[in-house]
Amino acid sequence: MRNTYIILLLLLLPLVNYAQERFITRNGFISFYSHTPVEDIQAVNNQVLSIVDLSNGTVAVSLLMKSFQFEKALMQEHFNENYIESDKYPKASFQGTIVNLLDVLAGENGVALVKGDLTIHGITKPITMEGKLDITDLLVKFEGKVMVTVADFEIKIPSIVSRNIAREVEVTCILEHEPYK
Amino acid sequence: MKKALLISLIVLLIAAFSAMYIYTRVYNKPHIDVYEADADYNVSALELIEEFEMDEQQANRRYLDKIVQVNGIIRNIETVNGLSVITLGYDGALAGVICNMDPVENKDVLGLKVGQPLEAKGVCTGYLLDVIIMRAVIIDQT
Repeated sequence: MRNTYIILLLLLLPLVNYAQERFITRNGFISFYSHTPVEDIQAVNNQVLSIVDLSNGTVAVSLLMKSFQFEKALMQEHFNENYIESDKYPKASFQGTIVNLLDVLAGENGVALVKGDLTIHGITKPITMEGKLDITDLLVKFEGKVMVTVADFEIKIPSIVSRNIAREVEVTCILEHEPYK
Repeated sequence: MKKALLISLIVLLIAAFSAMYIYTRVYNKPHIDVYEADADYNVSALELIEEFEMDEQQANRRYLDKIVQVNGIIRNIETVNGLSVITLGYDGALAGVICNMDPVENKDVLGLKVGQPLEAKGVCTGYLLDVIIMRAVIIDQT
């Protein structure tokens, strides 16, 4: 609920600004990849909501756990029902700031450093992420990767499949924001 | 001796068949076939959006993981990573129903235009700024 308020606030706040500073995507891409010698597991989510405000560098990302698509239906079922408990925790979200936005805007360095809080499975942890950030008048594109430790979010993996699921999964984001009208 | 051989052969065959069954039906069980599945709910985009806007938790309990057949006017068509994404909505609304189309529909989506009515069916996964339907297929476009 708190996330909804923050997003609403983000949407309403900069109505005072004239220049286009808020960018949004409703079709963002986030995938995760778990690699073990036994099995590789990948899931993709193409319906990620992300809003960037260039006036202050804030970023708000929100996604539905059930929108993650797996190759195998059984994996998707286990992910939702046993591990992530997506009926109880349907969303994951990230609230953060682009720490070095001024440098990126000045064009000195296209690599953004994003710091903030990641919430998965009802647990919030601070994370730091680096990624390529391209900013033009019509597009704000962020491409980055971060390793996420499964145990940090109190996601319980039964010992029988513990060898199939990596302790750290690689999360990839490709978010192409367009001007918010 | 011959009998023992025969019995072990039968046991082996049964084991092989059950292993194959588990492999194909459990481990590799297919994703739900949205085309074949009956819709659990048949609603308009307006009704669906209003239900989620009014009480998201209640709407989640009702619609999550269910096959929802939804009709509305096409507001937007996009291609993202090789998948078609169609937004259904109605005039003057901020929110829409985003249908993430099954790749089998890629060709048929090419014939669709913004502003025309569409009825689509898919799995409801929840609500962000819009209601989201995954694995959607086209039911009717008139």
